[in-house]
Amino acid sequence: MKKVLLLSIFLIITLILTGCWNATELNNIGITLLLGLDIENGKVVLTAEVINPTSAKEKTSMERDYVVKYVQGIGNNIFEAFRDITLKFDRRIFVAHNKVIILGEEFAKKGLIKEIDLLSRDNEERETAYLFVAKGAKAYEVMGINNGLEEIPANYLLKLIENYKLNPKAMNIDIIHFLKDYYDRGIEPTLGIIEKKNKKQIMKMSNTSNEKYELSILGSAVFNKDRLVGYLDGNDTKGLNFIKGRVKHGIIVFPIPETYMDKETVNFFLSKDKIENKDLDLNTLDITKTKTKNDIEIIDGNIILKTNIVLRGMIWEIQEDIDMTKLENIKILEDACSYAVEEGVRSTFMKAQNEFRMDIFGFGDIFHRKYPKEWAKIKHNWNEIFSQTDVEIEVKTNIIRTGLTNIPANNVKGD
Amino acid sequence: MVSKSLKINKEQIKSLFNNTSDLVVYEFETLNNIKLMICYIEGFVEKSLLDRDIIKPIILNLDDNRDIKKVLYVSNVNEFNSLQEIADKMVYGGVALFVDKVSQCYVVNLNHWDKRSIEEPQSEAVIRGPKEGFIEDLATNKVMLRRRIRNNNLVFEDYIVGKQTRTSISIAYIQDVVNEEVLAEVKKRINWNIDIDGILESGYIQQLIEDNPSSLICTIGDTQKPDVVAGKLLEGRVAVFCDGTPHVLTMPKLFIEDIQSSEDYYSRPFYATFLRLLRINCLLLSIILPGLHVALQTFHQEMIPTVLLTTMAGAREGVPFPAMIEAFFMTFMLELMKESGIRLPRAVGSAVSIVGALVLGQAAVEAGLVSAPMVIVVAATAIAEFAVPALTEAIIIYRFIFILLGGFMGLYAITCGIIVISIQILSLNSFGIPYGFPLAPVNKQGLKDSVVRFPLRSFIYRPKSLEKRNIIRQKDIRKK
Repeated sequence: MKKVLLLSIFLIITLILTGCWNATELNNIGITLLLGLDIENGKVVLTAEVINPTSAKEKTSMERDYVVKYVQGIGNNIFEAFRDITLKFDRRIFVAHNKVIILGEEFAKKGLIKEIDLLSRDNEERETAYLFVAKGAKAYEVMGINNGLEEIPANYLLKLIENYKLNPKAMNIDIIHFLKDYYDRGIEPTLGIIEKKNKKQIMKMSNTSNEKYELSILGSAVFNKDRLVGYLDGNDTKGLNFIKGRVKHGIIVFPIPETYMDKETVNFFLSKDKIENKDLDLNTLDITKTKTKNDIEIIDGNIILKTNIVLRGMIWEIQEDIDMTKLENIKILEDACSYAVEEGVRSTFMKAQNEFRMDIFGFGDIFHRKYPKEWAKIKHNWNEIFSQTDVEIEVKTNIIRTGLTNIPANNVKGD
Repeated sequence: MVSKSLKINKEQIKSLFNNTSDLVVYEFETLNNIKLMICYIEGFVEKSLLDRDIIKPIILNLDDNRDIKKVLYVSNVNEFNSLQEIADKMVYGGVALFVDKVSQCYVVNLNHWDKRSIEEPQSEAVIRGPKEGFIEDLATNKVMLRRRIRNNNLVFEDYIVGKQTRTSISIAYIQDVVNEEVLAEVKKRINWNIDIDGILESGYIQQLIEDNPSSLICTIGDTQKPDVVAGKLLEGRVAVFCDGTPHVLTMPKLFIEDIQSSEDYYSRPFYATFLRLLRINCLLLSIILPGLHVALQTFHQEMIPTVLLTTMAGAREGVPFPAMIEAFFMTFMLELMKESGIRLPRAVGSAVSIVGALVLGQAAVEAGLVSAPMVIVVAATAIAEFAVPALTEAIIIYRFIFILLGGFMGLYAITCGIIVISIQILSLNSFGIPYGFPLAPVNKQGLKDSVVRFPLRSFIYRPKSLEKRNIIRQKDIRKK
């Protein structure tokens, strides 16, 4: 009996002595949802958006404190900056719930892989946090802008990022995918961007709110290894997403000729500047599913990149006067849509090959998989080879639904 | 020994009962001058019957053959020689009848005492099913069971236990259904393990003959409902009735019985299955939830969804205690309220519930002593606990253990705790049958009446662990 008692005392003591070593009460942590990284005078400036939990308590909006607080630390590296904060702010920065890390443009241009090490090594920071580049700005300049209905600015930003699935003109890459692309020789990383924009038209309204700025995540940033080299605009980002097979939903706006002609005539009508001049009637297809298959082939020593995109979607808008009950008309719509996608994708290819001269799509990986021996020889200058190659794009559209009406609103009166 | 002399018998009886004041000794003579003496304990016999059916015929009709049985108008007359046996009968309402010059005592059972009427048991209320419950009287309880199983194979075996209280207990089983090994084990333990001076409630027997006295979980079931006992006996179990207790013990008891309810069998299987799943979840919830809450709050903030975390952090602002102390305090207060709610007179009970609801629910949160999420967690735990009433005692202690584990070492300790407790529970035996049956060891037939209740027509066999011989319960009508 004495032995049992002694043993149980030992067990309880070990429980109490070893336990609690990393216990933290909720009142001691500052829950951070957004981090900003900048570089100023060779030092890292870290900005954290910390939630003020008292504001979550039920209070009338008059009594409410600030929902978030911003704290800044400066150090030679990120961790030093983190610890710099502890001397100014009463709570430990808790980054396990951090959703977005914003990189200042300067920071991104300097190269960020050394700094990323901490973020991937730290047991708190999640690798699913999104990395975004603040286009043309410091990270802390875009932080704190909240033009949404969410109370917390980080949640506003996060909701914007989630809206990527409605509109693939943006990128959402998290730490782990960035690292994956960085370590891969066959692909150059791309990241999403955040831009602070003046609200132009809406500020002219009389009853507008006082927020002058809004955020936009349109476009994407292109990296050479870990250095920011340039930006893609919205349409090219959409093309990039198509080639990478990342498009889930979204719309495609495309014109078709007034009379149903052969393919060459369609091509004439679809030339790009015509769309921009808004001469044509535009139709909209809502994507329900896409499937992209990239391939690479060497024919007589020439490398050919192949992209095969299969789209499925429903017609949401027809500005033409076109009889949708006829199958051949739907066929024409499908062809026109495919052509529009093909043009967009081709433009993205052109940009990557001519402007950046880098493989941002990951064709190097396919090359590696398909021709492992040849890859060993060319992997060091794959980007140069990539920019010389021919591209074959094939797009197929399936229209599965045409909406509630068969007759377009533009039907000629009396017909 | 009963002597021929009335005088000696009188002395013997009186000294046997130590001249107790409620012993009635009455001497009288018949018309033809035969001397007799009757002894009984006051209040234990029906006096009108005694006067009408015993004294009157004896006085009028007893002749010199002194053959008492020829004149009595009663159905149960037993002859005894040993004084101790006579005394045993008298304390159960027997009337001892001594005739002068006859060295034998006649005992007539005229027992009569006040009983509670049969009511619906408060702790086991049902919506569908018989509402009557056992009462304190052993004979009535036996009748109630016999009314459920009108079969000559239903056997009661009576024992007298308790050196001072001389409580009669009764083992009940169905002769050709019962698991004989269990029955032998029950008899053996009743004979060998019970040497206590008093049995005041069936809980005494439960504690004296159970397999694992040091386990938190009891491996002997108890119920107040005759239909439940009948159901258990039909599965091959043994029941122990104890005089003076409305709780009848059934054994062996398996884990799965705690999540079964008699109503499951009276209603259709789909809802019954849903209820069983609900009870299992409630069981887990009521044990682990406060500990889990503490562990997540103090160690694993990253596991809580962000929005919930901010709400929780907001609620915790200004709370002076660590989460573990908070959980302990709230759980303690809950148990306090439950306990005082039971003990208090009914008139004050409502005051307790109002004070409790206000103090614990609102004032504690507003005063900043506890956070609102903790109140919700503890309240949810309390509600969940009532869904599995049979295990309440174990649940509460396990809950405190899990709060400690979660508060000291987080999810790691909670996982370890679950493993250790599962091993401990699964290692239990109840009268030679594994406690986890039919879940562990798995039994295909048994699983039909475990978490999922299959339709009644698919219960072809009796539970295999319990039943060895007469295994067929019904014909498989689907195969005909």
